[in-house]
Amino acid sequence: MPATAMSRMNRFALALAVAMSLGLGACAPDDEDGPQTGASRVVVGLSELPGHLNPAITTAGGVHTVSEILYDGLIRLEDDLRVRPALARAWSYLDDGRVVRFRLRTDARWHDGTPFTARDVVYSFQEVLLRYHSRTRASLGTALTGVEMVDDSTVDFRFREPYGPLLRQLDVTEAPILPAHLYSETDPLTNPANRAPVGTGPYRFVRYDADGLRYAANPDYHDGRPSIDELHWRLIPDAGTQVTALERGALDWLFAVPGPERRRLEEDPTIRLLETTRGPGGSNCVMTLGFNLDRPLFGDERTRWGIGHAIDRAQIVDRVLFGQGRVAEAPISSGIPFAHAPEVELPGHDPEAAQRLLADAGWGRDADGRWLAMDVNGVTAGTPLAFDFTHFPSFSQYAQLLRAQLLAVGIELRLRPMEPPVFVEAVFTERAFDTNVVSYCHGPDPEIGVRRMYISSNIAPVPFSNGAAYANPVVDSLFDQARRSLDVEERGDRYRRIQEIVARDLPYLPLVETESTRAHTARCSGFRAGGHFAAEARCRR
Amino acid sequence: MLRLPGRGTLRRRGTVPQVTRRYLLLRVVQIVPTILGIVLISFVLVQAAPGDPVLALAGEHGDQAYYREMRRHFALDRPLPERFGIYVSRLATGDLGMSRIQGRPVAVIIAERIPATLLLTVSALLCSSLAGLLLGIVATLRRDGAVDLVTDMVTLGLHAAPVFWVGQISILVLAAGLGIFPVFGMRSTEPQAGGLPAALDVLVHLALPALVLTSQQLAGVARVTRQTLGRELDRDYVRAALAKGLPRGYVVVRHALRLALLPVVTLVGHRMGYLLGGAVVVETIFGWPGLGTLLLSSLQSRDAPVVLGIFLLAAGAVVVANLVTDLTYGALDPRVRHG
Repeated sequence: MPATAMSRMNRFALALAVAMSLGLGACAPDDEDGPQTGASRVVVGLSELPGHLNPAITTAGGVHTVSEILYDGLIRLEDDLRVRPALARAWSYLDDGRVVRFRLRTDARWHDGTPFTARDVVYSFQEVLLRYHSRTRASLGTALTGVEMVDDSTVDFRFREPYGPLLRQLDVTEAPILPAHLYSETDPLTNPANRAPVGTGPYRFVRYDADGLRYAANPDYHDGRPSIDELHWRLIPDAGTQVTALERGALDWLFAVPGPERRRLEEDPTIRLLETTRGPGGSNCVMTLGFNLDRPLFGDERTRWGIGHAIDRAQIVDRVLFGQGRVAEAPISSGIPFAHAPEVELPGHDPEAAQRLLADAGWGRDADGRWLAMDVNGVTAGTPLAFDFTHFPSFSQYAQLLRAQLLAVGIELRLRPMEPPVFVEAVFTERAFDTNVVSYCHGPDPEIGVRRMYISSNIAPVPFSNGAAYANPVVDSLFDQARRSLDVEERGDRYRRIQEIVARDLPYLPLVETESTRAHTARCSGFRAGGHFAAEARCRR
Repeated sequence: MLRLPGRGTLRRRGTVPQVTRRYLLLRVVQIVPTILGIVLISFVLVQAAPGDPVLALAGEHGDQAYYREMRRHFALDRPLPERFGIYVSRLATGDLGMSRIQGRPVAVIIAERIPATLLLTVSALLCSSLAGLLLGIVATLRRDGAVDLVTDMVTLGLHAAPVFWVGQISILVLAAGLGIFPVFGMRSTEPQAGGLPAALDVLVHLALPALVLTSQQLAGVARVTRQTLGRELDRDYVRAALAKGLPRGYVVVRHALRLALLPVVTLVGHRMGYLLGGAVVVETIFGWPGLGTLLLSSLQSRDAPVVLGIFLLAAGAVVVANLVTDLTYGALDPRVRHG
């Protein structure tokens, strides 16, 4: 542990750390200052240890899972995405909405006792979030002209034009606030505080070693001291061992339970499950089939709709997700209620309609039942309707099922599993693919996770952007309008119109909305799905 | 140097240490190009692994300018030969570089994990060597008897079974089911007061993963011991010794076993090299905080400097272990002399 980290700990933590830092049978002093028996503690299973604990410099799920509970955003998003005050207690719009003024809490303190001020907010945005937090930089960064301190407890966000999605981008996931007194004038990527963080959040950091991490409740938390005294994070890379440990009572909380194990845990009276659309990489994720529109094969939307009708999405929910999810009803996730448009029509499972549409598009079947191009625009006559399907190896069950479903109507899918970094290069940089499947996480606002898939300026080597290469000026303009509006209803209306258009054009077929299952001991209750999962939970002794 | 058929080297007083020293020097000098080759191959392999480390480092939602900046930040925009040059020149001064994810020196990160891995792998090596040797001797003395057959079947079965499966089953049955062992980790979540309880706590956690690792390695030692010892027992010198009236146990241990040990030592020495890297799967299953779990997470996050550091450490350990094994031959078998 670096010396700087040690100096920042208080005496209790130091004594605890000394008592616990046991080498190979090395002596440790008697643990008098350690947690008293009966102190409530939640042991969390972790698949990987994060390299650092700074959620402002990355969007990596592993870091965010562990670190968000140490920090706060200006606002807090409830599990149902309602906006609540956090470090900001109120906000107002000035200059026709081009300036958003935040009044900050004056009673919040950093874990080292330093008061939280507007300086921390300005520093965090200007020097860190808008530079290193890839999602915030890519969305908020393109709209913002400045973040200015008005006084110690007031901050102005200035925009070129009104920016509707702002509030949903200010929670601890999208915009955690860092302590300026520890970070300013340093390289935030290598600052030692990344490994020994000081936040304002409901829990404070105690120690980090190869076994895992320890946090303690923040007694001065501005929203009230958490009931659970300690969080212990233990590394268990193997998912099967994690579940066994939970069943045995060696763990109290798991962020994700594998689908096949879920039914067993459901019947265990000592365990409770919590379904959520929040995953480690983002929230409201939709498994999405993408067509490469550069390929003449997919030039006609009747071909794309035909393929869509051949797919039984309900079967995916059953067989791949084991019920952990639902069929996607619209291009925008149902987890964003103001923008979700369930009335939009997407191709349902209908093999006859599939055949009819393919025939309309100029495909004909040969003696073996395979589809060959007869009179398809841009496709040489006789070309079979067979194409590559690029996917992460972890999504191979989707691939197998889709191949079987498409084969049933005479379409041949060739599976191309690729490790994620290779996939990104092949699909988004080289554009060397026919179709793919991507888990696009829509986040708390379509501006964050949906816009990037459809706007034409995102036909570029940017990971998880407009892989289909879909270009529609009307859609581009509607996205801009939705972003400019401060009125939720008006924004929702624009997004619904976008969905009508992209459902008809179908550059992507949204397959299923995936959910993640958290599991915890029945001894505790009141957990939430988000980053501050344990802040309001309680445990029976 | 003079050699007599079948009797090794005729020594003259004073020459052998010199020769051995020359041999030793030669072997040590040979290590340099070997290590350099390993560095080159590892470096190229790690860098040539497809995909962009910046993605894993920074998250997946950035724009092009962002990824360009990050690439510059980590000097990933430089040509490969230049990066290799920088790496080797730093390595020559003992600097393994900085972790891209943790922002700490690779040497420190790796050093933190070595004790846990050594504890696990050395325990397993000791257990498997001793138990394997004993089983091998017992099986030889009762050749083709029930003990021999059962030993052979069980050790071979354990050796053939995939380690992740043996690990999972042992957790389900011995830890979760019977509750004899803890399910995971190296220490209890509850801090242990005092040195002795803490050491015992580690021992309790060590037992099951070490047992699983031992079960994988038992077969090799047991079978080689049985084979070579069996062969030695059939030789004339054993018959002669027995005919001379020496006790059987004495002949087996003092004469035959000593020669039979050579291949066993080779095998064990060979394993030594893998002490630092050989438990990746077991560590992953049991959540053991050693180099294996570090390697796995570094690979997942594409933290190339850490991956390279572990590769080099593991490769270096193999090279050194081979050297030591070769030199041990001489001590065990007077027929082997180095010239």
